[in-house]
Amino acid sequence: MSKVKCDHCHLEFSDSVMIHDGEYRFCCNGCQGIFHLLKDEGLESFYAKMGDTTLAPPTEQFEASSNFDTPAFHERFVTTTKENLSQVSLVIEGIHCAACVWLNEKALHKMEGVIEAHINYTNNKARITWNPEIVKLSSIIDMIRAIGYNAFPYDASLQEIRANKERKEYYLRMAVATFATMNMMWIAVAQYAGYFTGISQEIKTILNIAEWFLATPVLFYSGWVFYRGAYYGLKNGSVTMDLLVVTGSSLAYLYSIYITVLEKGEAYFDSVAMIITFVLFGKFLEVLSRKNAADTLDVIGKHIPREVSIVEGESIRSVDVNEVKEGDVILIRSGERSAIDGEVISGEGSFDESNLTGESEPIFKRLGDKIISGTTSIDALIQYRATKDFAHSTLSTLVNLLENAMAQKPSIEQLANRLSQHFSSTILFLAIGTFWSWYFWPHTFDRSLMVGISVIIIACPCALALATPVATLVGLALGAKRGILFKSAAQIETMAQATMVVLDKTGTITMGRPEVTYATLHQSFDIKALYTLVSSSKHPISRGVMEYIERSEHEIESSTIEEVRELPARGMIGRHDGMMIAGGNALLMQELGIDIDTVSDKSLFYYAVGNTLMATYELRDLPKEKASESIQILHDLGLRVVMLTGDHEAAALRVANEVGIKEFYAHLTPEGKAAFVDQSHSEGHVVVMAGDGINDLLALAASDIAIAMGNGSDIAIEVSDVVLMHDSLTSLAESFAISRKTYRLIKQNLGISLVYNSITIPLAMMGYIIPLIAAISMSFSSLLVVGNSMRVRWLYK
Amino acid sequence: MDSWVIAMMLGASLFLGAIALSAFLWGIKNGQFDDEKKMMNQVQFDDERELNDAANQQRKQEASKKEYRPE
Repeated sequence: MSKVKCDHCHLEFSDSVMIHDGEYRFCCNGCQGIFHLLKDEGLESFYAKMGDTTLAPPTEQFEASSNFDTPAFHERFVTTTKENLSQVSLVIEGIHCAACVWLNEKALHKMEGVIEAHINYTNNKARITWNPEIVKLSSIIDMIRAIGYNAFPYDASLQEIRANKERKEYYLRMAVATFATMNMMWIAVAQYAGYFTGISQEIKTILNIAEWFLATPVLFYSGWVFYRGAYYGLKNGSVTMDLLVVTGSSLAYLYSIYITVLEKGEAYFDSVAMIITFVLFGKFLEVLSRKNAADTLDVIGKHIPREVSIVEGESIRSVDVNEVKEGDVILIRSGERSAIDGEVISGEGSFDESNLTGESEPIFKRLGDKIISGTTSIDALIQYRATKDFAHSTLSTLVNLLENAMAQKPSIEQLANRLSQHFSSTILFLAIGTFWSWYFWPHTFDRSLMVGISVIIIACPCALALATPVATLVGLALGAKRGILFKSAAQIETMAQATMVVLDKTGTITMGRPEVTYATLHQSFDIKALYTLVSSSKHPISRGVMEYIERSEHEIESSTIEEVRELPARGMIGRHDGMMIAGGNALLMQELGIDIDTVSDKSLFYYAVGNTLMATYELRDLPKEKASESIQILHDLGLRVVMLTGDHEAAALRVANEVGIKEFYAHLTPEGKAAFVDQSHSEGHVVVMAGDGINDLLALAASDIAIAMGNGSDIAIEVSDVVLMHDSLTSLAESFAISRKTYRLIKQNLGISLVYNSITIPLAMMGYIIPLIAAISMSFSSLLVVGNSMRVRWLYK
Repeated sequence: MDSWVIAMMLGASLFLGAIALSAFLWGIKNGQFDDEKKMMNQVQFDDERELNDAANQQRKQEASKKEYRPE
């Protein structure tokens, strides 16, 4: 049968399943609704603008938009502008093409009371300004949903705004500096040509004045960051690279004005502009690769449920987490995450506590058991009584601890910074010494001053400023190509100096989910029925069995089974071909009257038809592929490898033996892991911690370098400095190799620029440097450093 | 005399360059380059209706400013 495009989302379906609506065809009611809405609003040119892109059909399940009107929401996300208008930042979900952006903006602009709607296509963030007296935010959200998109609030935190502003400022400064320097170069060509072939003083002065005019904004506007840096450096009593740049360029600038006005000698305006431009670029690269701490805490906030359902007699209402008091009865459905600690008063079911405790198997909860906030209900529909309010629950306590830990995160000073201190003071000292010795040798004041200044200009750390940023950028690119994301360049250096690596067990060394290791088929049976039975459940054990069947049977279809029921903490039962089928643990089998005598330290899954046992599956959490090889590599790199886990001793020992880890600690709480990292710090170790769950968060934040697995929890990824997208231990070993390589490159680059300076500075001290040589040497040393870094890049392509 | 020619040429070309630079700086400050993906698609959304829409929005903004009275 031929396929027909849905007129809204452009996905193709066979004609028979489509909704026929005159000449139009739709795949679902949602698409049909949106299509007519757009037509009524006169926005149908959306489809012409959309071109070949397809949209996701709209979802219809949203949490009530009235949440967006609560005072708590407004207090947190909505700001009020000077004109008494409200403003909110949202992330719009479902934007696929430029036409989607157009549609959202137009639809919102058409609403009465919406003053401005601006959507950024690159990051899908929207800023909406509206008049709260005319329209409510909930109706704005309803409009976005009505046209087939969804919106989430997001905290445009102060730090993020500041970081964007800083970046923009750098663009402006660099634009000015580049423009002036490039124009100066062709003026300088005339100057140099004149120097060798003769030039009248009159023309020389005109060229000097033009250069003066161009150099002024470069020094005082673009170079302002260096003045600021030098000032704060001096205030803290340290000689920084900024100070050297500022003294060198300001002195050269003043000296050149003096030359221009008195019409004698050579001006150094081009060197001034060039120094500022080069070093500004280096600094900008640093700003670009600096980690934005602001984003981190934002995402943590997003991870905490904002609302819970409270049971009051017969009615259920959702309230803000902060309004929940001790003793309130909270309802939690399957798939929901709990926000508040409490005690079960009715219902039963399994909870996934793996992200808090590291326990890989679900925990069964029933009357009287404790619910810990941050854990997720797998299949439970439970009512529980809050024993603590939100602020004192485990999850928010953890987040508070985390915020503190992030603020105190240790950092190792970068090599270039340490070096530049000594370098800067040495150069300033040499320049002053040169000036005095020339002055007393005896030379004229002008000549001595010129030679003194030329020492600073020639030593001006263009290459030094570029050495680290260029090398780290190469390192970042090398990592990115292999799925290793270093979030900030400075961390590469720290990682290269690491002496110890701490690994979490569940999810880092192991897969984090049970897999079938052994299957015993007692009798032949219809595998399709079992497959259908296990695919009906989201329980990790059933998932494991399901994947095993998918792997061992090449093609498998589901068959029909009826009356499937999940029995909490036992398994599930159903009816197939008139027989009862059951899959689950030993408890379920015993209840069905089947004798089980297998004893195992692994998880067992039994399958029975009627009253006969058909198959037994053994499952456990296996180490990842190539885990032991990778750990061997880490050992070979001279690192102390330690495994930490919240799991029990026996499970830890088994995994440790399998992958070849000699040192491990079991039964650790999240705080215990962090304490271990802190203790290693005090023993003088530079600690790299790799983990994936909420239970690792504190330890991640306490470590020097935190590495998160790509499929770990969002928070872990946010807290970490390095993310391994491939989720394998091989990438972990590779990330160490890359960071060490990059560190070596940084050292090489710094070496090159120092050697270069040790040749040119004596020349300058002897008075051989003219503006042309200064310019050439500056460009050449920068090229050497960049070239050396590129070499590594080509080598590892 | 020829030195004045050079001065004039330098002045004129630097002036023209400065105009282009200030236009670029205005663009950065104004957020014209903030959203690279949108910028590349801008040509699709550049007809009479967009102009009308922009004018409408401006009217709304001004109306809301007039209404506002600081207490």
